[in-house]
Amino acid sequence: MGLLDALQRVSQSPTNPHAPAAPRTFDVAELYRGPLAAPADGAQAAGPPLDEKLRQAYFWIVNTAIISPHYDVEFNDGPPQSFTLGDSKSRLTLPSAQSYSSFVLLPLLTFATRRKCLFVGGPGRGKTASALLMGVLAGYPVREVRRAMQHGHPQMTVADLLGNPLPADLVAAQRIEDIRIAWRSWLGMRVKIIDEYNRIPTRTQSALLTVMGDNYAEILDHVYECPEAAWYLTANDETGGGTYPVIEALRDRIDVIVQALSFNPRFMADLLARIEANVRPEEVVPRQIVFTEAEVDRLQDEIRAVPVPGDVGRRLEFFASQFEFCEVAAEQWEYKTKDTARLAGADWNALTALESGRDRLKDLGCQSRNGLSVRVLQTLFIYAKALAFFRGNRVVELEDLRQVLPFVLHDKLLPDLDAPFFTTPGNEVFRTDRVGWLRRVFDLSCADYERLDLDRDDPVSTLAAEFRRGLGGVTEAETRARLVAIERLVTEWSRGRKLYGHLYDDLLVLKYLHQRYTNYLRWLKTQ
Amino acid sequence: METALSPAFAAFLRNARPELNARFAEARRMRPDLDGDAFAAFLRDTADPLVAAVAAVSPERAADVARAAFELGLELVGQGLAGPAAREPAVEAGWRQVAPAVASLVAAEPERVLAAIGNALHRLASTPGARPAEWLAAMEQLGPRCADANAFLALGQVAAWRAGMAHYRAGALAAADALPPALAMAALRAAGDGWGEVRGWLAADPWYDPSALARPGGPRVVARAGAFRGFGGLFVEPPVATAAGDHFIVRSGDDGWLLTADAFGATFHRATDAERARRGPSIIPPGVTARGTTVEVNGARLDVPEIGEIAGVAAAGRTLALTSAWTHAVILVALG
Repeated sequence: MGLLDALQRVSQSPTNPHAPAAPRTFDVAELYRGPLAAPADGAQAAGPPLDEKLRQAYFWIVNTAIISPHYDVEFNDGPPQSFTLGDSKSRLTLPSAQSYSSFVLLPLLTFATRRKCLFVGGPGRGKTASALLMGVLAGYPVREVRRAMQHGHPQMTVADLLGNPLPADLVAAQRIEDIRIAWRSWLGMRVKIIDEYNRIPTRTQSALLTVMGDNYAEILDHVYECPEAAWYLTANDETGGGTYPVIEALRDRIDVIVQALSFNPRFMADLLARIEANVRPEEVVPRQIVFTEAEVDRLQDEIRAVPVPGDVGRRLEFFASQFEFCEVAAEQWEYKTKDTARLAGADWNALTALESGRDRLKDLGCQSRNGLSVRVLQTLFIYAKALAFFRGNRVVELEDLRQVLPFVLHDKLLPDLDAPFFTTPGNEVFRTDRVGWLRRVFDLSCADYERLDLDRDDPVSTLAAEFRRGLGGVTEAETRARLVAIERLVTEWSRGRKLYGHLYDDLLVLKYLHQRYTNYLRWLKTQ
Repeated sequence: METALSPAFAAFLRNARPELNARFAEARRMRPDLDGDAFAAFLRDTADPLVAAVAAVSPERAADVARAAFELGLELVGQGLAGPAAREPAVEAGWRQVAPAVASLVAAEPERVLAAIGNALHRLASTPGARPAEWLAAMEQLGPRCADANAFLALGQVAAWRAGMAHYRAGALAAADALPPALAMAALRAAGDGWGEVRGWLAADPWYDPSALARPGGPRVVARAGAFRGFGGLFVEPPVATAAGDHFIVRSGDDGWLLTADAFGATFHRATDAERARRGPSIIPPGVTARGTTVEVNGARLDVPEIGEIAGVAAAGRTLALTSAWTHAVILVALG
């Protein structure tokens, strides 16, 4: 058995129990499961389901390893208790369902999905310790994880990061392919940690970008293919406070950003006990919550298999539609985007001053300076699936999406702090609270979606679904009818309606459908 | 204190003192309520006799057993399951009564056997309707007849069923098959007949009692399960039962319980939301009627005047559950 380590206790009961669908059955082997840990027998050796194991890992970290009494990822299965406190009417909510700490949850989901997570926050708040724990969860010895961690510093070279050509080969080699490279060992790890990445010089950041983005390293025409890995980066200040500005492409590769919240002095006793016992949590991670490579592979498969119901996906579509549209950026319809204005180097304030007619307070698109990329939307889906899987759910719920959204979009959707929304009384707080703002804007988008009754009355969805059924057997008359339906809808929308982001995207879809039917009609005439 | 300990345990404590002190300090950090005096009492009163018993049969294994007892003891005392103020004395009683009786098995696999004894008694003690003392007595008496830890654990499963854990019926029956027939018969206190025949009856009839010399026929009251909460039971008001497969869902106030029952006992398990939500009329087998205070099964009458007028009837397999406004118990009737 080894030492029965109290530190190594893992939650035995289901960490997020769900009602069984089948009639209750009892297993006589339960008789020997209880407060005392025993050597695993054959049945137990197979281990719990992976979602349960993931939750066990989460609860071990929050209960034992990291003192993080912050439950900012809130779930409710009934009306939560809510209280208003202070002069600014701050709201404190006591969630009615199992809720989580983003500082532990998001890194864990990153581990399960092998994505990239950035820890931000002041020094000494547990950012590096959390990243270390993730390395240990992947089965690496603590010492190996420590040694493999890359510490950003202003003199860091590409060779420091990736490796060196062997000096003897540099002298003796006749051809470049004869030069052997001593690759740095961290490149082969399945958990990669870059500490203080914003202290890395720009040129070295570019080398890092290749590894992060394309999963290989290159020196002197030699290529090292890295395994799929979860990445953890830390920064004391992700908004430019580092030694070097972080190149945009590198920032764009980061999937989620979590903030290390401040230490609550009420937990000082725990801190003191830890000092006195001289125990480091990362050195006593229970083996039951260590994942093998095959298990993480399987985790990814199982997470990807969690379906996103149509109504949940539709709300994200509607939300994403709000932001890219910029009516005054171009004359041609397709280029009326914020990206067009950005590429042209237009002055943002001058551009927004040109906007007229729309209600800039009501238009959610006015709150941001950019739109959402495809990569961001993919990341949103992956993390929403991962959260649903983590919670033991079989499908993604809207709340899963709502909870991961601020951490995925944290650095991706840039607020326009001059927008009327941020100067409206009550909203000033969102100038500094990025997570709160993103949650609010998603809630506003969903409310708008409900108001427009798009679940039941969405003609574009109907037309698109009709098209997706295929053109085989569609007659000329039917094609013309569909073209007329599209034109009629555009005509209807053009009668005095203001243009908003979601309408712009819908009109692009209508144009797309119209074009496909036009081409089909032309082909029909040649038959 | 140390002078009173057995030589084997005293030697272990002396040799491993720095390490054991560190382990205790670590455990106390995780469980600030871990009481040093209670743990010392546990070591003296429970671990020491066990180590002495093991030293008598396998002196070379005494230190390993002592280490396992120390480690598991930290958990038990830390959780309030052992020591002078233990909230469940049954767990420590198992270590005092059963473990020394099977010292050779403990010597072979100390962690596995000791944890199994502790966990089994904890489960028995925390299952309403189960009888941990009966399990203790059976294991103390029959444990020494087991050839190895696997047989001991299988015996424990059968004995748990016999001690009232009716919900383990199917699994325990399979476990009994793995035991020598004489041991299986002894564990179930079966009288006469061979194991094959007893097993057949057990599989066919949940109300077959292998210790009874005769098999009664016709409808009969076989159990009264549950009681008023004020008297230590589960129910705040007279319960109502509905069938759920081979079991019953019993509702009382806002609470719901799954009731499993057979000749060896009846146990209640907190019903899940889905089980509690299950509603609908129970299907009563043809030929069965309940009216007033009387149940009639294919012409055979059973009067139960002590519960007053029967208010609810549910049937699951060969069992009828009767409830009334006069009692906080569920009356179980075997259909014969």
